[in-house]
Order: sequence, then structure tokens, then C-alpha cells
Amino acid sequence: MRPILANSCAAAATTAEARYRLPILPQATWRSSRVVALDPAAAEVVRRVAAQPWASATFYTLAGTVGTGTAGTGTAGTGTAGTGTAGVLYTLDDAPYALAEVLPGADLAVLVATSDSGAAMAAAIGAECRTRSIMTAGLIIGEGPDRVVSALRPYARVLMVTRDEQDVAEILTALRA
Amino acid sequence: MLRQDINELLTRTGPGTAMGELFRQYWIPALLAEELPENDCPPVRVKLLSERLIAFRDTDGRYGLMDEFCAHRGASLWFGRNEEGGLRCAYHGWKYDVTGQCVEVPSEPEDGNFCANVRLRAYPLIKVGDILWTHMGDPAKRPEPPEFEFARVPADQAYSSKRWQESNWLQALEGGIDSSHVSWLHKSGLRDDPLFKGSKGNDYNLGDMKPFFEVVDADGGLFVGARRNAEEGSYYWRITPWVMPSFTMVPPRGDHPVHGHFWVPIDDENCWVYSFDYHPVRPLSDTELQAMRDGYGVHNKYVPGTYRPLQNKDNDYLMDRDAQRRGESFSGIWGIAIQDASLQESMGPIVDRSKERLVSADAGIIKARQKLRRAALALRDEGVTPPGVDTAHQRVRSAAIVLPQQESFLDACRDAVTVRVGQRQVSV
Repeated sequence: MRPILANSCAAAATTAEARYRLPILPQATWRSSRVVALDPAAAEVVRRVAAQPWASATFYTLAGTVGTGTAGTGTAGTGTAGTGTAGVLYTLDDAPYALAEVLPGADLAVLVATSDSGAAMAAAIGAECRTRSIMTAGLIIGEGPDRVVSALRPYARVLMVTRDEQDVAEILTALRA
Repeated sequence: MLRQDINELLTRTGPGTAMGELFRQYWIPALLAEELPENDCPPVRVKLLSERLIAFRDTDGRYGLMDEFCAHRGASLWFGRNEEGGLRCAYHGWKYDVTGQCVEVPSEPEDGNFCANVRLRAYPLIKVGDILWTHMGDPAKRPEPPEFEFARVPADQAYSSKRWQESNWLQALEGGIDSSHVSWLHKSGLRDDPLFKGSKGNDYNLGDMKPFFEVVDADGGLFVGARRNAEEGSYYWRITPWVMPSFTMVPPRGDHPVHGHFWVPIDDENCWVYSFDYHPVRPLSDTELQAMRDGYGVHNKYVPGTYRPLQNKDNDYLMDRDAQRRGESFSGIWGIAIQDASLQESMGPIVDRSKERLVSADAGIIKARQKLRRAALALRDEGVTPPGVDTAHQRVRSAAIVLPQQESFLDACRDAVTVRVGQRQVSV
């Protein structure tokens, strides 16, 4: 066996010395993220999360008016949406965007649900994310919804079923959104 | 990514720290029972949660765990004599019983009160299974003894070992929650290790290197389900339970014994990894026991006479680059346990999590950190008893199962992930 020299040994003298790492390149510190609330209660959660500072996360709901449970009309904000409610997401100030406009450039999609009402759209977004190779995560708050879990299962690399809405912010923070 | 202040909170476990107080709510492994094999045997130095302690077994078989240092002038009681119902300091003969009470000060009058007023801090030490457990918190809040199944099955159905890991406890625990590394780091073990090989589940494991994960809250911690493709229309699920603060189980393979770990802080830069194997319904075979003693499975080989792994950072874990090149071992390091230890120790004594780049597959780790932080702060600020103290939370199992694609793993596996005395593990 070859001898292990001091300058190549894994041992380090102190925690501080062992902790030292070359500086992280600035362009790699955040991840472009899309957060989509799949039902009205989830939209309330997402609205609270969106109030925190984020590097590169944008937030959407399925309905034009948060909390009403009514789907938007699909009026295009940019002139290219309006493909029907199944393909439209709304920013938190109610601007509609086609799903195809929202996803380009995203590294991560986080879908948030508290009920099964958004199951169909969950599957549609998940399928689109897979087509575009966007990492997808689903957060289901509460243990009731199961159809939305089933809808997301084929697409979401991670599904988290949690009792705690703060997990949305935790995940986004941990993933550098 | 984790803020540095939260990293500090989670990794510091000494007296007076939030996480240290959390650990002090639980019964935690202090020693293997084999370390105190008989009455009046030599005492053992034990460092736990940054406290230096001495463990001994007195003339009547009572276990004691107390301050390592004599109240007189601070000499270590490790040099002492364990005799006639107590541990006597080798320096001036002061003697203590298993409660830490000083029972004799030879220089003082025999009928004086002096020694009655001398007492070392001491903690209870109880034998459950082949482990000696201690509770280092408030005696008034001492929970019921641990109920983990591995420690409750008949003695011939279980085997435990421990090894010193030169890293903070949390990065070791996180390896137990993260099952996505198994298909990579441990792939040779799935083929060759006598305690792993031969199960149908291994084929699924090796056939799908990109598992999907589902993380579900549990009363005592989490269940993390890792899903891989099985036959058409079905998924192979591996379900890992984590019970707070630091108990994890590895999903089983075939009829091999089930294994798991307890990750216990020695101090902030070292931890004990207790590794166990047990079978819920049958004795371990001689072949299995020999394999465990030989360092296979979750166990390891030792520097003789110690609990330090034979492969350690001072010898680069005896890495074999040729074996790595030939594909016999993904990392070139022999043994599943040390494959983990080598990488976790390479992160440094306390990894700086503000610099990490997590991916969504790390959701179990993210959630575990959050639960630990929440519990530590709730205990500190409001006195809330943390999850995992209740012994009902400890009656969990890991499981491996093939399910139709539309089925939720936890709905389908409620029974499988719960201890059912006398029933075998659910395994593939």
C-alpha cells in the first residue's frame, strides 16, 4: 500500500479548516422555480409564501381571483394565452399566462395542493414539465387528498404529504428558489 | 441549503444547547452491553452529548453512568478500582456508588458527614436488548424505556455493533434518511454482501437508478418511500422510517435480517453509529452472525481492541483504486458501513450546509431538518415534548413491497410499517 502523505490525508486539523470550500460561483446559487397552487386554499398558502423574498421563484394559481375557487377566463396577458382554463395559470396579481409561457427557463416546478380539485391540472402540468425535463415536486398539505397525489405520482420526482404549510417555504429555501 | 444559524442549532448538542436539550428528552444508546460484561469489570469512559462520563457495573450488577472526574481534585475515575459496590478513585481512594453518591472519603473521619454531601452528576443506565441506554434529561420527565423492536425481540434474534464516526451526528443521520445513494454507492453490496444479496428487490434497485420519493409525516418523525419501476404496471417501494431524533431503519431485502441505525452525538464533531440487525420471527443463523461479526452488512471491521473502524480517515479507508476501476466497488472502499462513513467524514467535522446544492430528491432530509428545528425550538420556548419520546412512536418497521402503480405506499403499508409481534417483515 502506498503511504498516505500529510498533504493528501483526509484528516483536517480544525472544523474551520475542514469547512473551507472554494467560493461558489454566483451564477449557480439559485434555481429558476415556478410555484403553482392547485386549489384555492393552496393559493392562500402560496400567496403567503410569495411574500417572502425569493431569488428566482414566480408564483401562480389556477384561478384568476385567489380564494374564489372560480377558474379564470383565460384572457391572455401577453396575447398568447387564452388556450382555455386547463392551459392557463395566473400570477398572484391575476395576470393570465399560458402554461407554455410559464415553463420555459424553469429548473424546478413545485405544485402545491390542499384538495383534489386541481388533480386534472396537476397531471397536465406534470406532463408538460416532464416533456421539458423540469424537475417537479408536489407538496400536499393535509392527508385527505389522494386523487391529486395519484395525478402527480408519475411526474413528481418528490411528493411530500405534510401537515405543515411552512414546508412550501422550507423546500423552496433548501432548493435555492 | 441551510442558513448557518440553523445549521449551528441542529449540529450543537452540548449542555445548554437547543438540540442538546432535545436529545436529553430521549433514552439514547450509551454503550453496548458487551462493554460492561460482568460485575466489577473495568469501567468504561463514555462521552455523550459533549459530557465526559464513566460507566461501570458494580458488585451487585447495577449499572452506573456518572461524571468521569472525581469531585476531589478532578482525576479521571477511569483509573479507579471497581470493587465492593462502588468505583474508587485511584488517587486518594474516594469511592462512589452507581448513583454518583460518594460513599467513602478515607481521609475524613468515618462517622463524619463530609461524603454524604459529595455527589457526582449521574444518569440512569438500563439494559434493553444488547444496548445500555441512558436518559440525560430531567428525571421528572423521564420517559418509558425504549420500545424499538430490535431491542425487544429475544436475544438470539438480534445483533448490534457500534462504530466511531468522525463527523457531526447530523450528516451521519442524513445518510440514513437518504436512500437515493444506495443504487450508486452500495451497488456492489447489493450483488455481493451476504446480508444483502439474493433478493428480488435488489434487481429492482439496480434496474432503476432514478428513484422517485414520497415523504410523509409520521407521529414520531417521517416515512420516506423510494419508488422504482418494477414489472409493468407496478412499482417497487422501499420505505424508510425515521423516528426522532436519530433512529432509522433500512428497508429489508428478502428474508435477510432487518437492519438500521441509531446515530448518537459524542460531541459536535464525532458520533457513535449503533448498527443493528434483527429478525422479527426467527433466530439469526450462525452464518448471519458470523457475517455481522466479520463486518458485512451495516457492520464493519475494527482496529483491534477498539470501536474505531479498521478503515478510517488516517488510512484513506484502505481504498482500492483497482477494485474501483474494475467495477467491483463503486467507490473502491470495502463494506457498506465504511462506504457511508468515508463520504460523510469527507464532508468535514461539521459540514457547512449553507454551501450545499440540494435537489428535490433530498426532500426527506429537508423535512427531517425542519422537524428537528421545530421540535428543538418548541421544547426550548414552550416546553413541548418532542415527537419520538412516546414509545408508541417507536414501534415502526421498514418495509419493501411491490404495489400497483395507482396505490399510495403508506395507505397500502400501514400494517407493514408497524411492529406486529410474531409476524415477519414485509419484504421483497
